[in-house]
Amino acid sequence: MSENVDLDVMIGGPQGGGIESSGQMALRVFMIKGYDVFGIREYHSDIIGAHSYYNVRVKAQKPRSVRLPVDALLALDAETIFTHYNDLAPESYLIYGTESLNTRIDGIAPMDHDTKERVKEDLKQKGVEPVASEVVKYLASTGVKTVGLPFKDLLKVTAERLKTTVVSVSKTVNTMSITALAAMLGIDLGAVEKSIQLYFAGRKGIVDSNVEAARTTYEYIKDNYGVSKPLPDGPHRNKVRMIATGNDIVAMAKIVGGVTLETYYPITPSQDEAFYMETHRVFDLDEEASRSLGQSKTGTLVLQAEDELAALNMAIGGALAGARVATTTSGPGLSLMNEAISFAVITETPVVISVWMRTGPSTGIATRQGQQDLLHAMFAGHGEALPKIVLASGDHLEAYYDTIKALNWAEKFQVPVIHLLDKYMAASMMSFDMEDVDPYKVPLERGKLVPNPDPKTYKRYELTDDGISPRAPLGTVQYIVSSLEHNEYGVVTEDPVIREKMSLKRLKKMETIEREIPESEKAVLYGDPDSRITIVSWGSTKGPILDAMGSLAKEGLRLRFLQIKTFLPFPTSTVKKIIESSDDVIAVENNAFGQMVMAVRMFTGLNINKRIAKLNSRSLMEQEIYNGVKKALSMKEGLVVVSDGA
Amino acid sequence: MARNWMDYKTDAWVQWCPACGNFGILTALQRALAELDLPNEKVSIVSGIGCSSRIPYYIKTSNVHTLHGRPIPVAQGIKLANPDQVVIVASGDGDLLGIGAGHFVAIGRRNIDIKVILHDNAVYGLTKGQAAPTLPLWFKTKALGQPNIQSAVNPLLLAFASGYTFIARAYAYHIDQLKEMIEAAIRHKGTSLIDVLQPCPTYNDIMTKEWYEKRIYYLDKEDPSWNPNIEKPEDVKKIPKIVEKMMEWEPRIPLGVFYRNTMVEPLDVRIEKIMPGYLQNPPARRSIDIGGRALTNPFVAFKDRIVTT
Ligand SMILES: Cc1ncc(C[n+]2csc(CCOP(=O)(O)OP(=O)(O)O)c2C)c(N)n1
Ligand code: SF4
Ligand SMILES: [Mg+2]
Repeated sequence: MSENVDLDVMIGGPQGGGIESSGQMALRVFMIKGYDVFGIREYHSDIIGAHSYYNVRVKAQKPRSVRLPVDALLALDAETIFTHYNDLAPESYLIYGTESLNTRIDGIAPMDHDTKERVKEDLKQKGVEPVASEVVKYLASTGVKTVGLPFKDLLKVTAERLKTTVVSVSKTVNTMSITALAAMLGIDLGAVEKSIQLYFAGRKGIVDSNVEAARTTYEYIKDNYGVSKPLPDGPHRNKVRMIATGNDIVAMAKIVGGVTLETYYPITPSQDEAFYMETHRVFDLDEEASRSLGQSKTGTLVLQAEDELAALNMAIGGALAGARVATTTSGPGLSLMNEAISFAVITETPVVISVWMRTGPSTGIATRQGQQDLLHAMFAGHGEALPKIVLASGDHLEAYYDTIKALNWAEKFQVPVIHLLDKYMAASMMSFDMEDVDPYKVPLERGKLVPNPDPKTYKRYELTDDGISPRAPLGTVQYIVSSLEHNEYGVVTEDPVIREKMSLKRLKKMETIEREIPESEKAVLYGDPDSRITIVSWGSTKGPILDAMGSLAKEGLRLRFLQIKTFLPFPTSTVKKIIESSDDVIAVENNAFGQMVMAVRMFTGLNINKRIAKLNSRSLMEQEIYNGVKKALSMKEGLVVVSDGA
Repeated sequence: MARNWMDYKTDAWVQWCPACGNFGILTALQRALAELDLPNEKVSIVSGIGCSSRIPYYIKTSNVHTLHGRPIPVAQGIKLANPDQVVIVASGDGDLLGIGAGHFVAIGRRNIDIKVILHDNAVYGLTKGQAAPTLPLWFKTKALGQPNIQSAVNPLLLAFASGYTFIARAYAYHIDQLKEMIEAAIRHKGTSLIDVLQPCPTYNDIMTKEWYEKRIYYLDKEDPSWNPNIEKPEDVKKIPKIVEKMMEWEPRIPLGVFYRNTMVEPLDVRIEKIMPGYLQNPPARRSIDIGGRALTNPFVAFKDRIVTT
């Protein structure tokens, strides 16, 4: 029964050593078998050689997180064995290259010194010598099924069959590992071959050598380990589906959502979003649009700026001229954008800033997870830079629709919108269907954009009941835009009465935003609505929380989970109501100081006295919430730090 | 009926000190716009923060008064979104060469069709006379607490090295010549710099009217054969002479157009090459929806992420 399938597979190896393609191929193999997948990549900020891994979760219906221990570890090098030997479930598979067996831990140059010492200490306590062969033996003794692949021999056979040299097929070892995994899990060779064809589409030479490598490996496994019980087909066979990272899906949403100008300065983990937009700057229109516009393609301009100061200020210039604009960055870039956020506020300029958070403070750990920019985003900009909107998405599909909503809100309310995302989403991939990313579900709205204003009566900053004025693009009518306090025409003024009116205009606009964004967009309740145990969280912790809630519910522990989605405007009444109707409230965040808890206190006056925090910069996993909730419930108050992940 | 320079005047009170060089720049700019008969709403003057940066309030066009140091990025955003707009940056030397220096360089790499008018008074007027990046070494203008121990940057050479394709120097009190240079810059299609030597009678008590007028001369008056145009590959032979003139400062300061290179593609042409249709449907004008309906579907536009199972 495919409903019972719940697999977690880890693939580890040196950065730049084919981890990316192995992960991508594994994801596709499982999708071809009809499953939903969720994969996340943990990688080092160094470019090449350092340990990196992919964690892939496989379920019949939408997995949202990964978990430890894993059901299979594919070790492309010895460092992977040393880093993850504690992450294997009983009866799981370890697939490794027999060449790594002689490696001693001290001979692994890229491995972090502190990590090495910690591993050696642990192995010593287990009575295992720090050499890969001994660790493998130890694992076998604990019930792990160890599968050694003699890559040299397999490459030789592959080369002979293709009538070519070993060197020319040497890059196929990743495929061999994936094939061995597939064979052990009872996946047919056909699925592997199809995934190779998909992943290396159009590159015939590469496809041929990888297919041959897969065949050779499949036979080897069959001959040496027999035939495994076949994995049943999942429910999603024979469909046209997609797989994308969070970066990809936000890029897609920006293009679908009508961004015509995106600016950026490269920073991890945001740069792949801009990269995806660049590669798709010219895109096909759907049938209806093609017919109605009389063209089959249109374009979105993407420009790499010289820094984040320029990125946001350019976007603002584009918006002033009437374009729908966005930019993308991470925490350090948001720091540099602060002044321009304030500029966007006073000039009432719509702009969406996607902020892919990572580990801070300062440069921190550039390629790892963190949720440390919440208060930064809320307080971004000097001199009371309000109104603005701060919105946080919980997963890929939310991020897709939220991006479109953010673009609408920016134009409707003429404010900067900071859209908080993070490394967890940026670097994770999930499978989805056409109906999951419906481009027509959220209609595009541009608010009070007036393309043809009357030059005689037009006032850009006209005082209105809702605080929002008609917005004419520069170039359509003569008026001035100023970063200084200004009157209804935009002309600079220090008049106290006008200054006060403009302050009240901005205040009124925030009230309009609060009123017009429905409560259901501000916070969402999951789980058992009548439970009196509540998890409160925000952002990408959603996946691990929901997956863990599923496991806890099976044990009879039914929880509810309040996901805060907008911090400006804040869902004050909902948060208050939920906290006040709970016996236990547990906050979950990837930051040390409890930034969401502070925001909750600021808006509701209520405290949350139990917190689960993940601070080691790695991705939050299902079992950490599962264990963390149990621990938090056993305490009166305090902080539970969860620490899994290598 | 052709426009008159009065058509570009606003009724705002001009807040500059008497005899400030900015008045000359203002008048020259208004006259150049009139000469070119540009519709008021089709011109955007974008400034930063400083005395000079108040110019957007005094010219009746579609202007933006931005942040200190950021007029160049904002101007580029406008131009990228709407390539038909005439976009002029007018800002101080502290703004463009100090806090905004990175943008001053980066814009040159793009050769985007924007005119940069540098109000070069060698001081920070608005913040009461500190040294600007163009104040020469050891000068101690009156508001400085100590002599200037930092050397001056040469705006012309910096612009040249950055890829500007039109580079000129003018003198704020010579309104006719400045007006001509602005017109020439607007006619040139590419990133342009006019470094305007701008006396600040209030804070720069060294580089005064008298000081400048003892030193300045016009390249084309001194040498009628002066030709700054790079129009064909052989013209690069002129460059050593051009650079030599850009470096000249004491005892004489050359004015005029130093460099006009028409062989470098401007940014909009480059964009059109990688994104056909850009010029016809630029970001500010292209439709993003049909009555609220998005123009495309991820499964139509992003086929590279499709997996057929
Ligand atoms: C981020 C920031 N830092 C400092 C200032 C203060 N400030 C305003 S104008 C100015 C210098 C202006 O000098 P310049 O650009 O040469 O213009 P001028 O007044 O000489 O025309 C400074 C430092 C500011 N507005 N913003
Ligand atoms: S301080 Fe100098 S630059 Fe500023 S207005 Fe006065 S004279 Fe002009
Ligand atoms: Mg100055």
